[in-house]
Amino acid sequence: MNFFAQIGILLRKELVLELRMGYAISGILLYVLSTVFIVYAAFFQGVNSPMLWVTLFWIIMLFASVNAIVKSFVQENGARQLYYYGLLDPLAVIVSKMIYNISLLFFLSLLTWAAMAFIVGNKVEEFSAFLLALFLGSAGFSILFTFVAAISSKADNNSTLLAILSFPLVIPILMTLIKLSVVATGMLEDTGIGKDIGILVAIDLVLAGLTLVLYPFLWRD
Amino acid sequence: MIRQSWWKILAVVILVYTILAGMLIPLKPGIAEVTPRALQAGTEVELTVTGYNSYYSKAKNELRAWLKMEGDIFLKAARIEVLNDRKMKLHFNLPEYLPSTSKDDVCSLILDSPIDGAISLPEGIALTQDSVNLRLGKQLWAKDKVDYYSEGPKLTFPYRSVLYESIRNQYFHVPLWFAMIFLFMFSVSFSVRYLRKYDPDADQRTLALNRAGFVFGLLGTVTGAIWAKYTWGAFWSWDVKQNMTAVALLIYSAYFILRGAFQDEEKKARLSAVYNIFAFAALIPLLFVIPRMTDSLHPGNGGNPAFGGEDLDNTMRMVFYPAGIGWTLLGFWVAAVAYRVEKLQQRLLDA
Repeated sequence: MNFFAQIGILLRKELVLELRMGYAISGILLYVLSTVFIVYAAFFQGVNSPMLWVTLFWIIMLFASVNAIVKSFVQENGARQLYYYGLLDPLAVIVSKMIYNISLLFFLSLLTWAAMAFIVGNKVEEFSAFLLALFLGSAGFSILFTFVAAISSKADNNSTLLAILSFPLVIPILMTLIKLSVVATGMLEDTGIGKDIGILVAIDLVLAGLTLVLYPFLWRD
Repeated sequence: MIRQSWWKILAVVILVYTILAGMLIPLKPGIAEVTPRALQAGTEVELTVTGYNSYYSKAKNELRAWLKMEGDIFLKAARIEVLNDRKMKLHFNLPEYLPSTSKDDVCSLILDSPIDGAISLPEGIALTQDSVNLRLGKQLWAKDKVDYYSEGPKLTFPYRSVLYESIRNQYFHVPLWFAMIFLFMFSVSFSVRYLRKYDPDADQRTLALNRAGFVFGLLGTVTGAIWAKYTWGAFWSWDVKQNMTAVALLIYSAYFILRGAFQDEEKKARLSAVYNIFAFAALIPLLFVIPRMTDSLHPGNGGNPAFGGEDLDNTMRMVFYPAGIGWTLLGFWVAAVAYRVEKLQQRLLDA
């Protein structure tokens, strides 16, 4: 079975598992909704500035992503993972998890956007730019969090460890994303938007490349 | 022993040299203060000049001073009255008209002394006139010419407004960063070696280098913060480089936390090596890419006076480059000691 076929099978497995254990995905969805509602309730004067809207959006996304991804190595126990590694290419396992997480986070970010628009109000004016930011953001978050989750799953108390290890690393991505999104709200006229996109793509590629290089050292136990 | 440790002796020699030279070499003479700063054409004016590191009384009769307008038009001081080394009074007879097309303009003050050299206060003095007459103004001002400028003392650091004596921090703050980057680079190379050979020794070296690098990073931040207190007015100004530094230190703190999370030595070494490589790759955009995209308060960014280029003169280079080497060597020395401590602890545990 070649590499891509393995990825396909693993992706299907992830999806089936996700749907079968419905509480995980619905838990995340409820998490997003309740956080957006808390934001709405906490800022009772309304979120008027686009800057604030964008910042809140990405902070909600950040925590929702951590919660969504922390389970990706935890929900399956060590013995079953060993079984995968014996049966399949370990790289296919991590690549399938990354692809799955990218789509999950992209879906989650669209949902967060919809929830924000519905409850707090929509501030985005340039839809294509914001969609691009959402995609690059979900890609960056999921690559980084998936890899760090793979490290922290080897230790106990791993949800704390995931936050400690990944939050400092996520800051450059987050800063660039916020800048890009503020441009998408039409508050700033930025001609250098291409540079931000370039930086995000570069960071995503570097992180993905490193994951592929380093994962073979990680999965063995 | 001596043969193995020659580089430690070199580090000490270089650091003693940079500390002595960096602290003892004086700043170039400069103009600290001029009053008044606004002059009216057609009046006799008296400027009180306060010098910095200057020796006015030594050069009493050979002192010269000019007001300079744009286009190399000079007006020589009618009389110079030296009070002491740091203070003198300049008397100018300002003509009725300025060589300018507007009622308000600025001029520079230029002092020249055989002891202190030529010093200028660029565009430091405001001039006003009641009516504009460019032709007459040029005629009245153009009588004075500057034949030559004196050369000042050779062995000095530049005198820069805002920076002043704090320019010496360049021999501490910046080289500490260099040392940190080198230490982290070597630690990554040992992480790679660990993952290739699973050699516990490489892991101990990585840990020692990261510890030393972390300490140097902290020192770099602290020296920068103290400097910032006196130049920017606050220890922490949320400058982009400061933020990125804080993030870098957080990343390496996470490295130490990660090591603490595992009991098994092999697992600890392997996973922390993986994280170390990953973290260093994430550090590169943090320290080198993002600060260049955004305006920073740091010298050399956003129109602030730079340490590089014309501000890094040859005297500064003479101290700055050795300082970089010296602090880096010291960093590796600290790492070597940390490595030996780690080794000895390991031996005690095994015994």
